[in-house]
Amino acid sequence: MIRLYHVSKSYGSAQVLHDVTFRLSKGEFAYLTGASGAGKSTLLKLLYGAEAPTSGKLLVGGVDASKLGPARLPLLRRNLGVIFQDFKLIPNRTVFDNVGLALEVIGAERREISRRVNAVLNVVGLGGKGERRPLDLSGGEQQRVAIARAIVNDPAVLLADEPTGNLDGAMAVEVMEILLSINLRGTTVLIATHDIGLMERFPHRRLRLNAGRMSE
Amino acid sequence: MSATLGHILRRAARSLWENLSLNAVAAGVIAAALLLGGAFWGAMSTLNDAVEVWERDVHLSAYFASGVDEARQRAVLAEVQAMPEVEAVTWVTATDARAYLEERVPDIQPILVELGEDAVPASLEITLRARYIGDETLSDFVTRLQRAEFEELDYGKEWVERLTAFLGLLKALGAALGTLLVMAAVFLVGNTMHLVTYARRAELETMKLVGATLQFIAAPFLIEGAVQGLIGALLAIGALSGLKAVLLGRIQELVPLGQAPLADGSLGLSTVLGLLTVGVLLGVVGCGSAVLRFWRQAP
Repeated sequence: MIRLYHVSKSYGSAQVLHDVTFRLSKGEFAYLTGASGAGKSTLLKLLYGAEAPTSGKLLVGGVDASKLGPARLPLLRRNLGVIFQDFKLIPNRTVFDNVGLALEVIGAERREISRRVNAVLNVVGLGGKGERRPLDLSGGEQQRVAIARAIVNDPAVLLADEPTGNLDGAMAVEVMEILLSINLRGTTVLIATHDIGLMERFPHRRLRLNAGRMSE
Repeated sequence: MSATLGHILRRAARSLWENLSLNAVAAGVIAAALLLGGAFWGAMSTLNDAVEVWERDVHLSAYFASGVDEARQRAVLAEVQAMPEVEAVTWVTATDARAYLEERVPDIQPILVELGEDAVPASLEITLRARYIGDETLSDFVTRLQRAEFEELDYGKEWVERLTAFLGLLKALGAALGTLLVMAAVFLVGNTMHLVTYARRAELETMKLVGATLQFIAAPFLIEGAVQGLIGALLAIGALSGLKAVLLGRIQELVPLGQAPLADGSLGLSTVLGLLTVGVLLGVVGCGSAVLRFWRQAP
């Protein structure tokens, strides 16, 4: 589902990723670990097309993300669910609208949007909070809105950048359980985290980045 | 497709309402740009119209020399009437001219008495056919009209020529100023729209990150731009109509601009349509370029 071949990424003279190669199969769950600045977020950005690799090739859901022009970028992103570290929720939109945005952009009918958004809000435990605004919610609830938006399309791949980074222990466990339940439905999940406790509690494959070099 | 169109229209309507102050600023900028451009263009075209009226009004007065008797005058009248350039000729006898002058300027009567019977000459008042009013044909006609019977040929062409030359200079300056105005308008509108998109960058960035296409993001903005342009153009049309009615009325009182009804307050259908088109285009192009700039910069 995700394949990287000798991917490198530099910003000017600073090389962030060195010759990264790995493969994630369909339905797999894996952690992308490493200290702050190891290149985890950069790698995720390459996967959802926010950055282009300096060299190498990466395939996401069969799409060559390394050669994606601006016109084809939306096609990649519609097959991906991304949970951003800063959530990227629109503050002046309701929870319902924020989650429904991912369906709006693919031209879903209003009735279909309503059905699927309400269903996914129930999955993440936010049923009945659709009309609230993100800033009226706790950090954990905002994180769950971001998760709901990422999964409402039933994406083949779910990428999460430090999804528990801002949450306390109990809330982090809740979020992990949601991500695992999504994985059980067949979605490939890659989570960038440096939370060792969480990885030990929910053990899965670990892809380690150390100063931009990958090891397992 | 219809669902997407529905989303786009709903988002455009919502955005227009939620960003009322920003949209009002954008419409105001467009209105100001159109008002400036429209006032300038209106002034130029009014002057142009006035000169055309003056040019159409050109007629010649051919004054008979003293001593040319009425029989000879009648013969010359016939010759002039036969000239192809001539639309109409009115023969004004010395008696008629004197009576006319006495009627218009009653105080002149003692002077006329003093000067004697030949004080006011007879004349032919010649109106030319419109197609012969051009510079060269008129000069040619005047040359062929010269006769021993005429003491003086008088026509108001010289000052019209000077005015036309002045207007030509004004037009060249106008073209330069107009270009500057258009560039300033596009710059102002583009930057205002950039501020509009900047204020909503978080929303737009999120939309792009969840898979929105450029068309999906841009379409509501283009609709907003068109609405802003339309409102701006309507404001400019209202202001220009008012300006035209008030200012040109005053100017016409001070300086007679010919027979054309210049100050009736209406702009004319083509001007109104032109302003609406330019307004909508300014809004759409301004919004479109701002969204495109955002699209290129956003992750």
